[in-house]
Amino acid sequence: MSKLGLKSKVAIGLVLALLLIVIGGIFFPVHQPDVHLSANYGGHVPEPFYKLGPIYITNTLITSWLSITVLVGLFYFATRRMRLVPKGLQNLAETAIETLLGFVEGVAGKKNGRRFFAVIATIFLYVLFNAWMGLLPIFNFIGIGHTGTESGAFFGDYSGFIVDVAIFRAANTDINVPLMLALVSFISVEYWGFTSLGVRTYVGKFLRVRQFLLGLGYLVKGRVKSALSAILFGAIDIFVGILELLSEFVRIISFTFRLFGNMTAGEVLLLMMAFLVPWVVAVPFYGLETLLGAIQALIFCALTLVFATMAVTPHETDHD
Amino acid sequence: MRYLVGLALAIISLSLILSGCDAMGELGINWHGLLGQFVSFGILLALLIIIGYKPITKMLDERSQRIKESMDQAEFIKQETTKTEQMVQEQLAEARKQGQDLVAQAEQIGERLKEEARQQAKKDAEAIVARARSEIKAENEEAIAQLRKEFVDVAIQAAEKVINRALDKEAHRQLIEETLRESTDLKEKG
Repeated sequence: MSKLGLKSKVAIGLVLALLLIVIGGIFFPVHQPDVHLSANYGGHVPEPFYKLGPIYITNTLITSWLSITVLVGLFYFATRRMRLVPKGLQNLAETAIETLLGFVEGVAGKKNGRRFFAVIATIFLYVLFNAWMGLLPIFNFIGIGHTGTESGAFFGDYSGFIVDVAIFRAANTDINVPLMLALVSFISVEYWGFTSLGVRTYVGKFLRVRQFLLGLGYLVKGRVKSALSAILFGAIDIFVGILELLSEFVRIISFTFRLFGNMTAGEVLLLMMAFLVPWVVAVPFYGLETLLGAIQALIFCALTLVFATMAVTPHETDHD
Repeated sequence: MRYLVGLALAIISLSLILSGCDAMGELGINWHGLLGQFVSFGILLALLIIIGYKPITKMLDERSQRIKESMDQAEFIKQETTKTEQMVQEQLAEARKQGQDLVAQAEQIGERLKEEARQQAKKDAEAIVARARSEIKAENEEAIAQLRKEFVDVAIQAAEKVINRALDKEAHRQLIEETLRESTDLKEKG
């Protein structure tokens, strides 16, 4: 028998330990999670924990506030005593802001970049913190519930406390959050478009009747041949304008469901992995979800940035 | 301000549309949640602008400004240093040249002095030699004259003795002188 090195011994030991944990996990079942799409698992309007006027305090709103608190706290302590030579938390915050600012200014240019920055950076940080905080172990497992017995995935039954309504639930998995962000993104983009180009130019991007009217003018003058071609191209132009206008609104839906779908799927994946093989198998998926949260945050803010840049760029007048 | 009005209008209209739709409700869309999220996001945005973005971007700008200034200053100092170095080099070169000139001049002067001294010495020596020569000549001539005088006396005495008669001394002397001169002339000619 050949001698094994220390490294191989450690590796084999680790693998054995993992196997034991996995097998052990199978014999200590977790109850099947209830997967719901809406916050607080209610019907059309969820049952809130508390009503604050028209605002219903749901579990996702609580976690939103949690991320807001963490974010504001981080920035508060980072910028409380600003030094020219940064240190510690200030350094971290400055690096983050500088990276984001560089990204925004790189795409939108220096002047527009500064205008867009606050909204885009806040969208990024909000999505990122909602996603990452949703990975904390307190999420989905603390809440109002009942004691009962449910069958596990493979062996035995789970008996004990079963959470019906969790107090903490990842905020991005509540469709109101992605929808709100999509609306903020949409409104900001349209606002920047209007203020940068002026109402006439901006509306002209979608209402492209110039060519068509030109064609009608030719028709009145009796130049039938040029009139026909102008009317044809004018009709295409109008159609393109309608498509562009439609795409502005379609963005809201795509923004909403991209983030909502990814985040909800991620959460369901984690819950299911924890249910199927408890204890360690879910760990790699946590890593995956960490990455996914960052990617979704980046996609959301990058797309908003690109749309905003497109909106403030004057449309090339191609029929002059 | 216009921004806020637009935001509010959009929220209200969209919420109305959404709350009327059953399928949306299944997904959990409702205007209560939406409003809560809008308010939360607005607060977050405002707070982050106040405590995060504004001070940090200000600090970043300030720092980049500082860095730019110090870079400019460094560049300026570098240029100054180069200039100064060049000046020093020039001055050094000039000084070296001056020194060399001085040395060359001194050498020239030395050479000239040496030459002059040599000339002087030569002249002096020649003068000395000439003087000596003339002195020697003079002495020689004096000696010859002396000798001649003595010889004339001796010759007179001898002639007195020989003819034993007293001759007119002065006449004799004249005679002899004449004879001697003739002989000398003869000698010089011959």
